[in-house]
Amino acid sequence: MIKPTFKASIFFWTVIYFSFSATLIQADVIEGAFSADLDEINSISPQPGTIIDQNNVDSFEQLLAPKLGELIKEGFYSIKIGAPISIKPHQAYIDATAEHIGTAKLDDKPGVVLNYTAGRPFPEPPELDDPKAGDKLAWNMRYTYAYDSGEITDFFWQYRDMHKEKIERTLSFYASSLRFMHRHVEQPVPALPRNPSEVYNALYLKVISPPDLRGTQLLIQRMEDDTKQEQAWLYLATHRRVRRLASGQTTDAFLGSDIMIEDFLGYNGRIKDQRWTYKGTQWVLLPYFNHNEMPLVEVNHQQDGYRFVGFTGKADCFPDITWQMRKAYILEAEPYDERHPLSKRLFYVDAQTMQPAFANIYDRSGKLWKVAIAGFSHPDAHHPVNKGSGTPMIDVVSMIDIQAMHCTTLQFKAMVPRKKLKETDFTVQALRAKGR
Amino acid sequence: MNSQWLFKRWSRFVTTVFFLSAFTSSVSAWNSKDGTLEVHGFLDSTTHARLDYGISKQRMRGQVEWSKIFKPNGLFSEISMHGTLRATYDGAYDLNDDEFGDSSGSNVFGRSSGLGNLETPWGMSPVSAGNPNLPGGGNFGFNLTTNPDTGLKRVSSELGNSNNNGAFGGGLDFYTPTRPCNVDSRGCLPGYMDATENELRFPEFTDDLGVLREIYIDATMPFDNGDEINFRVGRQQIVWGRTDLFRVLDVVNPNDFSIQNIYEELEDSRVPLGIFSAEYRAGGAGAFDDLNFQLIWNFEKFRPNNLGQGGQPYNILLAGDLFRALGNCWDNGCTVSNFATGLVPGGNLSTDFPAHMIGIRNVNLPKWKADQGGFRIEGVFKSVGFSLNFLSSYSQLPSLRGGIPTTNGFVGTTIPAAGCPVGFPLCPLGFNPFDPTDVPNLERLRGFEPAFDVHFPRVNLIGGSADFYVDPLKSAFRVEVAHTSGEEFADTSQRRLFSESNVLRWVVGWDRQTYIRALNPNRTFLLSAQIFGQHILDHKDITTPFGSQIGFQDHKDNFIGTFLFQGFYMNDRLLPRVITAYDIGAQAGVIAPAIDWLVNDNWRVTFGGNFKFGTGHREADDARTSNSFPPFTAGPACNPAAAGGPTPGCFPGGGEFSSIGIRRGFEPLGRFKSGPIGMAQHEDEIQLLVRYRF
Repeated sequence: MIKPTFKASIFFWTVIYFSFSATLIQADVIEGAFSADLDEINSISPQPGTIIDQNNVDSFEQLLAPKLGELIKEGFYSIKIGAPISIKPHQAYIDATAEHIGTAKLDDKPGVVLNYTAGRPFPEPPELDDPKAGDKLAWNMRYTYAYDSGEITDFFWQYRDMHKEKIERTLSFYASSLRFMHRHVEQPVPALPRNPSEVYNALYLKVISPPDLRGTQLLIQRMEDDTKQEQAWLYLATHRRVRRLASGQTTDAFLGSDIMIEDFLGYNGRIKDQRWTYKGTQWVLLPYFNHNEMPLVEVNHQQDGYRFVGFTGKADCFPDITWQMRKAYILEAEPYDERHPLSKRLFYVDAQTMQPAFANIYDRSGKLWKVAIAGFSHPDAHHPVNKGSGTPMIDVVSMIDIQAMHCTTLQFKAMVPRKKLKETDFTVQALRAKGR
Repeated sequence: MNSQWLFKRWSRFVTTVFFLSAFTSSVSAWNSKDGTLEVHGFLDSTTHARLDYGISKQRMRGQVEWSKIFKPNGLFSEISMHGTLRATYDGAYDLNDDEFGDSSGSNVFGRSSGLGNLETPWGMSPVSAGNPNLPGGGNFGFNLTTNPDTGLKRVSSELGNSNNNGAFGGGLDFYTPTRPCNVDSRGCLPGYMDATENELRFPEFTDDLGVLREIYIDATMPFDNGDEINFRVGRQQIVWGRTDLFRVLDVVNPNDFSIQNIYEELEDSRVPLGIFSAEYRAGGAGAFDDLNFQLIWNFEKFRPNNLGQGGQPYNILLAGDLFRALGNCWDNGCTVSNFATGLVPGGNLSTDFPAHMIGIRNVNLPKWKADQGGFRIEGVFKSVGFSLNFLSSYSQLPSLRGGIPTTNGFVGTTIPAAGCPVGFPLCPLGFNPFDPTDVPNLERLRGFEPAFDVHFPRVNLIGGSADFYVDPLKSAFRVEVAHTSGEEFADTSQRRLFSESNVLRWVVGWDRQTYIRALNPNRTFLLSAQIFGQHILDHKDITTPFGSQIGFQDHKDNFIGTFLFQGFYMNDRLLPRVITAYDIGAQAGVIAPAIDWLVNDNWRVTFGGNFKFGTGHREADDARTSNSFPPFTAGPACNPAAAGGPTPGCFPGGGEFSSIGIRRGFEPLGRFKSGPIGMAQHEDEIQLLVRYRF
């Protein structure tokens, strides 16, 4: 017979063992979620400096996202391999993920996540046999780390005709964003105090030029409750009036570009409106790089010396950057609404940053319509104010309409705000106040 | 219009565009090095060709907008100054001077349906001094030397003939001088409708300093709790509404309808005013996602809507034409078709009124008291944008108040050959039998007499608005409602021919982006509809013993629907659109197709048309049968010689009485039933805009 004290001792050590094991497992999960093993990546990556073009693209096909290889093969683009980098989120976000790991749960109702507090809600690697893996990835994208507020002080969009190889329009914007909830770094944490409708985050955009659109402003408030429709308003300078946007407008070409409001940030819609399917994990070349090491160009001379990533390839529709091997989760999103202009999006979501850096977008008939490329820089190799922020800095975007042979390119000067952004900067009244 | 004429106009236009492009190639927006001063603007050329009338607008316009941001100072975190300068030259008065300029107008003829629609020259009507059948003998007629038969136009002649069915079927016709007021001052209303040719050509270069379209200072004072108060002081536009084309709440600034009737963008047609605006921005407060309180005070002198003046190509409701005609009637006398009724021969006869008998005497613009203002509570509550509004101001639309002293054209020294009217045995020939002291040229009060002063009464508005999104319909909705008190309406049952009434106006707007894949597989179309309602709450519609209607001559309840259909092609560089509007009461509509071509980031070309359909002219009681000059104006139904004898209770008794409503016509009050669409049936136009923005 075992003495009670010995039984207690066994119980004690068993608890300690399992706790320790769980902690080790959790630590592994966190490490796996946010770290990048550069040695491993180097071992499977083409040599930095390698050029992939139409002559050798067949040799690298397995490293290229769908359609990208075809575009290279057609001579539209060639890509240069860069050295792998790791963009680790801010420690506060990692700590929050560790603290709350395992607490967030998906409800049976679509678009509802329970008990989410902070950090990455589902840091565990996705599994193909998990029917909810796609939804979890979608929520990870929604709550991915980004600084709690951000500004794009100089933001240039160019509409390009790929047949005529000419620029049709150039738009310049100011943009900003603010997280109202689930904040990690900027005080107040975790939420802004005056938020009666429980807005999760807000995006603001103001057209600086061209003259016919000057002063047009867009405000989107995404609700914490994903079952609620986002609120969107457009300030029309030509009318001096704020007009509420119907959701149809968020799935329409924004200001005539090849980009929808729903395409902002990769996917700027409700999670519940899509069927999310995890399609597997792949090591693939994605547009991650160090901004300062790219061949930069001057656009609208910046007094602080900042220069922008440029474009190259067919009609200058492709970012002039280096690509690197990244672990990516392939995520398919199919709209439930049959009136939606798309049949699906196929995202390549970077596993470390949870940013959808590449996507194929299919029209209603199922034909490939657009290819989206979103280039991210390490914050420490970007504008000095971004150093240490841990935020993957969105630097360049190409949205290429394969069918119409047209593209929209975006250049960013993304910054941690120099002046604290407030809730009142993201209200309908602010649109009027900033208008005339 | 012949080909030579067209070539001449077109070549001028091409020259204009060429000049514009040459000039603008060196113009671009400008920003200071420190980014605190920004200057931009546009130059454009607008050509409107009106079917049957030729060029109605050939406008060259330049606008410069600037903003200067200052450093935070003291309590203010943000201080900036903004301005807009605008200058316009409208060549329509030179290019088409025989329609709208100093050669416009012609001689005119008064008409008499009682004489088989006989036309008689201006000032030579059947009813004039010397007419042997005129009761009292009379002092009718006017001086053709000072009020000659030139440079005139029949009001509403653009809409076709007035009603002329039978001896008593003829409606009233008034005649307006058409030439700019420096060329022909007849009928010009000082301070209101008195523009010279240069002021028509260069509308911003007036005493109101319209060239300084906007100039204001913005300053924001933050509080520790995140709230802020913003002050905006200076000449500015205050935009309260959420509607297009018609205004319900967006009434703080008056509107300039002389630019292009109701079709000019409100941004361009609002008349900016000197206003002090203080806005407390509470942001998210309590249950509100956004909450703001705005107080406004208009400190600039009162400015009414610009309705356009007689002879201008755009005068809404053709009110400018009528006002000028009536102004001339008062100052100089005038011919009015079909006015006299019940004389021999039976039927309506053209009448030459002497000065100071009918018309518009004065325009009483409110004196500068800086007593106009209002407030608004605005915010977002549970995803619904809302506002509550109050405004106390003077009406921007004129009210014609009768009850001013007038002369009596019937009294005189000439004894009519026919003697006194039948049934008036005591009539002392040539004099008013009821008042022998009523002598020629004596001005005294007479009820129901169409002689007016123009007033702008105080109007108080209480209203609210909301916008919201309905997900199952994928649609955004806009709602506005406004209740006003103090507005005045023409009322033929009242001695002074007007009454006050409360009015309820509302609008519901619907906006939806919709795919029509057969037309554009990858881009939606904007569908936007609005329905406006107006209810005159104290409307009076009195049925007389003769079965006719007198009282208010506007619709008690009326509705106007609008619909916009816009497509987007070539990455929004080609924008076809159709705007339609239909006035249910007027049974008149408009369809305005247009196509915008954005040539590049600076150049834009818009080609379109504006075509009307429907009934247009509407009939109304014209107060012709009121008895303002007893016993001379008893009207046919009160004539003892009428078949069946005089209507019991109608006469005698001697006193004035209101219209008995049995004579109706298009002028002058039918315009209220026709509305701005019905009264512009002739304004079918082809329009071309070339704009360079910088």
